Amino acid sequence: MPTQEITPTRSALLEVKKRIKLSKSGYKIMKMKRDGLIIEFFAVMEKAKKMRDDVLTDYGAAMQKIAIARAVEGAMAVKSAAYALKADPQVKLGSKSIMGMMVPKVECEVIKTPMTERGYGVIQTSAHIEEAAQAFEKLLVTLVRAAEVETTMKRLLDEIEKTKRRVNALEFKVIPELQEAGAFIEFRLQEMERENTIRLKHLKKKSEAA
Amino acid sequence: MFGHKGKGNYAYVVARVRAKKASLMGDEVYQKMLMMSLPEISRFISESGYQKEMAELAGRIGGIDLVEHATYMNMARVFSDILRSTTGELRDMVSAYLTKWDLWNLKVILRGKAYGADKESIKEDLVPAGRLNEVMLDKLLSLETDKEVIEEFGRMEHMKVPPEVVNAFTAEGRLGSVEDYFDRLFYTRLLSQLDPSSGPKRLFQDFIRREIDTINLETILILKMEGIFGDDVMKYIIPGGKQIDKKLATQLANAETISAAANDLSQLDFYEDIKETLTENGSLKNFVAAMKKYHIGLTKKFSSLYPLSVIPVLDFMIRKNIEVDNIRIIARGIESGIDRETIKELLVI
Repeated sequence: MPTQEITPTRSALLEVKKRIKLSKSGYKIMKMKRDGLIIEFFAVMEKAKKMRDDVLTDYGAAMQKIAIARAVEGAMAVKSAAYALKADPQVKLGSKSIMGMMVPKVECEVIKTPMTERGYGVIQTSAHIEEAAQAFEKLLVTLVRAAEVETTMKRLLDEIEKTKRRVNALEFKVIPELQEAGAFIEFRLQEMERENTIRLKHLKKKSEAA
Repeated sequence: MFGHKGKGNYAYVVARVRAKKASLMGDEVYQKMLMMSLPEISRFISESGYQKEMAELAGRIGGIDLVEHATYMNMARVFSDILRSTTGELRDMVSAYLTKWDLWNLKVILRGKAYGADKESIKEDLVPAGRLNEVMLDKLLSLETDKEVIEEFGRMEHMKVPPEVVNAFTAEGRLGSVEDYFDRLFYTRLLSQLDPSSGPKRLFQDFIRREIDTINLETILILKMEGIFGDDVMKYIIPGGKQIDKKLATQLANAETISAAANDLSQLDFYEDIKETLTENGSLKNFVAAMKKYHIGLTKKFSSLYPLSVIPVLDFMIRKNIEVDNIRIIARGIESGIDRETIKELLVI
């Protein structure tokens, strides 16, 4: 806060003192939030790492199964079975709060479809095609969960960055400037008081001389 | 379906299929192919009896799809050629067996139409290896609605389609009920039309009943892995199996685990062939391959025991189909980077 803009009055001093107190308490809370978010981030990061491994494993398994289905039954049969599918995967999107920050919550509503409701016939449907379909359904569930965890992690990172900037701003800019302004007002008020005392002494001397 | 008079030209057709069988690829050829790259496989099969089809399709299709389409096209031509050369009751039996491919084509058409695929792309996936030739399949393909396709197919194959099946399909929009209806009807009708008093027909009936066993067992095991048991399984069972009758099928359908089902199967003659594959590892890959091997082993045995019957013809058709499958397994397996050992396990040799 530039000193030229400060009105050195008692009320301004009180206002500045109030703001210093508020900023310090805000700084303390922000610091706690930042630390809390970092702890939360590490927990989510562990989960995300596991989810990434799961995605890789399930993806590998699904690709292996579809490769086998395409080899044994032929790409034409696999394509034909895929054409018959009627089920649409459905997810439910919600949100939950982590330290006041909203993160997405994704729930798989309809992803796994029983073989009898997939759309194609049960008799004569190859076990390879069915195993591939199941493997891809499993992969989809894992992907949905991974998407939730990854988004949470990204949001947490953004929020940590934002909180860190706020903490730094409070610590290195707002609080020091307010303290400087408070010191300036106090100094000016003391100066004004001294000027007043001298002025009063001058007036007293003049009135005594008269 | 079984309207031709006379026993049929067994000697001539069997002699022809035996000559054709001699030109089928043997185990050592598959071992060699496993060592080849995809372009080498394409070149190799172009020089091994699939030349005409490879050249015909090369302008439109490329890569691994060319191998798959060309081998299917070749198989369709070979089967049609065999069918044309048969007469009498032999023709009836071969033709009845090849109806399987008509059902395959019906499924491809209905599924493609349901998805909204264009006519050309559906046509590309058809395998005219059955009774219905390309003209008839084109006719089915050109029909507007699924209902019309089902009814026309019923007329072509002399299969009555009850209105409730069509209505259930149009109401639910799921093809499953229609497909299952036709699959069941194919086998039940076939069995009802075979008069076991004639030797060749009895053999054919026996063959079909064993095939029903294979299909039913695979259905039971797939559904078991899905957690479906009891009556929900029984509605997909085709009646008329040779070894797996209704009682055993119910027992198998009710078994809670694959191991429990394996105990119930221990009395059957193919148990030794499949027992190693009946594990709870979540995959039926090895079981399917073992059942196919058992099936061809059986036809091989019967074709030598009854050389002048329909069995040598069926044996050749199954082996030709397996050759096409094996070529595709090797080519697609290599293309997808599946390890050689897994490819070997998938091959039916």
